[in-house]
Amino acid sequence: MQRFLDPNVLAGISSLDLLAKTVVDGFVAGLHRSPDFGFSQEFAEYRSYTPGDDLRHVDWNLFARTERCYLKRYRGETNTQLTVLLDASNSMQYTSGPPMKMDYARYIAASLFYLAIHNQRDAAGLIVFDDDVREYIRPSTRPGQLARLFAGLERAEPHARTDFAKPLKYFQNFLHRRGIAILISDFYEEPETIVRTVAPLRFHGNEVVLFHILDPQEIRPVLKGSALLVDLETDQRIEVIPEYTKTTYRARIDAHIEQLRSRARASGMDYQLLVTDQPLDAALREYLSLRQAGN
Amino acid sequence: MGFLAPWFLGGLVALGVPVFVHLLRRHRTTPRPVGSLMFFECGTQSSTRHRRLKYLLLFTMRFGLLLALVFAFANPFVRRTASDATLPLLLIVLDNSFSMRAGTRFADAKQQALGAIAAKGHSQKAQIMALGGRLNVLTQPITDETQLRSALESIQPGDGHASFGELGRAMHTLAETVHGPIDLHLFSDMQRTGMPANFADVILPNNMTLSLHPAVRGAAPPNWTVESVEAPAALSDPKDPKRSRVKAVVAGFGTPAATKSVSLLVNGKVMATRKLDVPASGRASVEFSPLAVGYGFNRCEVRIDGGDAFPGDDVSIFSVRRSDPGRVLFLHPAGETRSTLYFGSALESAAQTSFVLQSLVADQARDFDPSRFTFVVLSDAAILPSIFEHALSQYVAKGGNVLIALGTAAAHHERIPLWGGYVNHVHEYARTGSPAVVGQVDFSHPVLAEPQPGTNSGWADVRVFYAAGLDPGDARVAMRLSDGTPLLLEKQVGEGHVLVLASGLENVTNDLPLHPVFVAFVDRMARYFSDTDRLGGSTLVDSFVQLRSATESVGAATNVEVIDPDGRRPLSLSEAQTLQSIRLERSGFYQIRFASGRHAVIGVNPDRRESDLQPLGDDVQQLWIGNPGGAPQAVRTTAAGGKYGTVGLWWHIMVFALAIALAETVLASRYMGTQREET
Repeated sequence: MQRFLDPNVLAGISSLDLLAKTVVDGFVAGLHRSPDFGFSQEFAEYRSYTPGDDLRHVDWNLFARTERCYLKRYRGETNTQLTVLLDASNSMQYTSGPPMKMDYARYIAASLFYLAIHNQRDAAGLIVFDDDVREYIRPSTRPGQLARLFAGLERAEPHARTDFAKPLKYFQNFLHRRGIAILISDFYEEPETIVRTVAPLRFHGNEVVLFHILDPQEIRPVLKGSALLVDLETDQRIEVIPEYTKTTYRARIDAHIEQLRSRARASGMDYQLLVTDQPLDAALREYLSLRQAGN
Repeated sequence: MGFLAPWFLGGLVALGVPVFVHLLRRHRTTPRPVGSLMFFECGTQSSTRHRRLKYLLLFTMRFGLLLALVFAFANPFVRRTASDATLPLLLIVLDNSFSMRAGTRFADAKQQALGAIAAKGHSQKAQIMALGGRLNVLTQPITDETQLRSALESIQPGDGHASFGELGRAMHTLAETVHGPIDLHLFSDMQRTGMPANFADVILPNNMTLSLHPAVRGAAPPNWTVESVEAPAALSDPKDPKRSRVKAVVAGFGTPAATKSVSLLVNGKVMATRKLDVPASGRASVEFSPLAVGYGFNRCEVRIDGGDAFPGDDVSIFSVRRSDPGRVLFLHPAGETRSTLYFGSALESAAQTSFVLQSLVADQARDFDPSRFTFVVLSDAAILPSIFEHALSQYVAKGGNVLIALGTAAAHHERIPLWGGYVNHVHEYARTGSPAVVGQVDFSHPVLAEPQPGTNSGWADVRVFYAAGLDPGDARVAMRLSDGTPLLLEKQVGEGHVLVLASGLENVTNDLPLHPVFVAFVDRMARYFSDTDRLGGSTLVDSFVQLRSATESVGAATNVEVIDPDGRRPLSLSEAQTLQSIRLERSGFYQIRFASGRHAVIGVNPDRRESDLQPLGDDVQQLWIGNPGGAPQAVRTTAAGGKYGTVGLWWHIMVFALAIALAETVLASRYMGTQREET
């Protein structure tokens, strides 16, 4: 089933619904032996009975064997709220081979929505932005929410430049309940600026995750000869020589990633680098771990 | 170069193609999108330079390929002028003949020749030759000035006679191997006597231009010389007034009338001195008699006192060999004495020879040793004692000479002694009533040589009534009758000679003994048989002396010995064993020991034509260089140096283009592959 998490395979699936189902079912099947019982009441610990405790929670089987009265405690199950902030700037349409960064981001978002709504019964919402908010779907668990989210993803086409400040400010206006906010972007901005812009989300108790989407060629670009490069967002053109991409560029992108990772974690945010030629399970695993930590 | 062809000008446009492809088109690089240029830095300047450097070689090859094709279609050629590498061959001929010894002629001519070498282009080939008695090629066509200069410095004045006719013939031979243009520069005193009688002999080939560099200017200086000396080569009796005398002719060239003192020296000792009045530019003769010489070889010379510009020709040398009179064995049939009478009288009358005739009936010759005789005459002696015939064969094989006269007795005996042949038939012209006459005479034969060419010396008056018919075989026929019958034949047997007269020596079978030519015939035959001319006397420089017979067998080779005037032996050991003749290149006395064992001392004198220092007239010189209009020679030389020749280059350019195309294919495939990877 792991092969269904391969981006190259997923690129051949046109329906986001089917794609998300494929991804999540494959992911969950690999994660649990029996997914039907996986997320019911979960045993947490035993605690000695103290007067006033509810006798319904006494483990009578244990009392029968040991004549001691213990209370059996379970983890409380609560529904959380997932909000995906999807960067739809022009830089997201870069690709050195399928899938495009934007498509890869859609796959992740769709999979997360499917996992949250279908499996976890969580509310899920979507904000598509570039230098402005292009699409906003309020988090909800209502029937048809998943379809609306998928439709929103379908409509998300790369436009214009990235500006984190405006969509996040917009997002904060609608954020009244703590939950998980996942920001999917290629983060072509200074790490300081990104973290400073995104950090206020943490103030409301949200778990914030940065999914950094990059194409392999953006991490390790290969040039056989000098080339004229065009910025997809600014349309700026410069000539670059191969020697630069082999040395200086790689050092700078590595420093950028490391700096973004360290600053994000320093601000209490999780950071995950996702390369478009890698399977999607890393993103799903990150989401589940955060959800568990939140419970 | 001829790059003005219309196609060439049109093809120049094609050169813009690689420029467009490499320099202009390359600027329109297909942009490559990236997510962000945040981490990139502009490298425009360096990358452009790098790219241009990377493709520079390919661009150069493509540009060069088109350039070569354009040039090839333009049909380029090179004009080769005097300042170019492919110049005419500079042929320097320095005259080192005897006359160049006069004054500073030779030194001046050599300096001029050295100047010509210094003035030639570095890449121009030159060849050095020396014109003396013959044309000596000293170098091959080379460009190395050092070798050329060294070869020129090695030329020394010689004793030969320069012949411009021989130069012309040699140039025709040279032109057959050198097809390019040749500039012939002749450094000489331009002696008038060097010009042959036929001017056509000196006309040069069409690819050759002539530049004359006279070593002297102006009129020739007056010069007296001992033009000729008439002296016996062999002398048996110094007191014989008829033979013991020396007659010398003194000639003046461009000289005023003067009284010259002429001396006769024998072995370095002045024997006599005469005063001689020589007319202006004329000749006068003087005679010294008797010629007192001792036995053996005497080195003699006739000298005139100095006082002219060319003292080298004031002496003429000759050698005189004094010996006892030579003995001649004359065998005749019994009862026949006329031949003895006629032959003996003729032999006695000969001016140049001194022989004692011993006549004998052939039958009585049994105990005679022929080796004691200078030569033997068999007059109608068809039958010889076998012992004597055997001894005679040995005698001839070792260098003896025999004259066989076939009289009437020969008709009865077919076999001819010593000859090896038979009498096939006899011609009895008397019976037909019309005696035969001499039809053909080979005057190049020593026995028949004429002192004055053009006359037949009376041979046409000789009537022959009887002649034996012989098959000449490999014998040399020196004389034939009018009906083609061989009359005089010669065959070499071993080192000796056998001469056969197909008629008798009496006045029965022919009337030869009654004609004066008979005396000359006997005289020359006696001198030929006795080697008088070869063993002594004088000869001219560059004449040849036969050292051994051509028929000598290899196994029986004997050494000859030659000592030149400087006392050196010019022959190597191998040459001494094999050489058949030697050229006498120097003036002076040569000592020679022939293969037959005979010794000779020969006085060698320069050709007296060298004594006439009068140069060629200007009109003749201008005619020779092909400029009869009389333009100045310097102008002629410059014009010759400025001649152009064209050599096409398209073939070389096409080969070059092919090489570039191959290299371009290899490089282009590499670069194209790189471009595919990039895109």
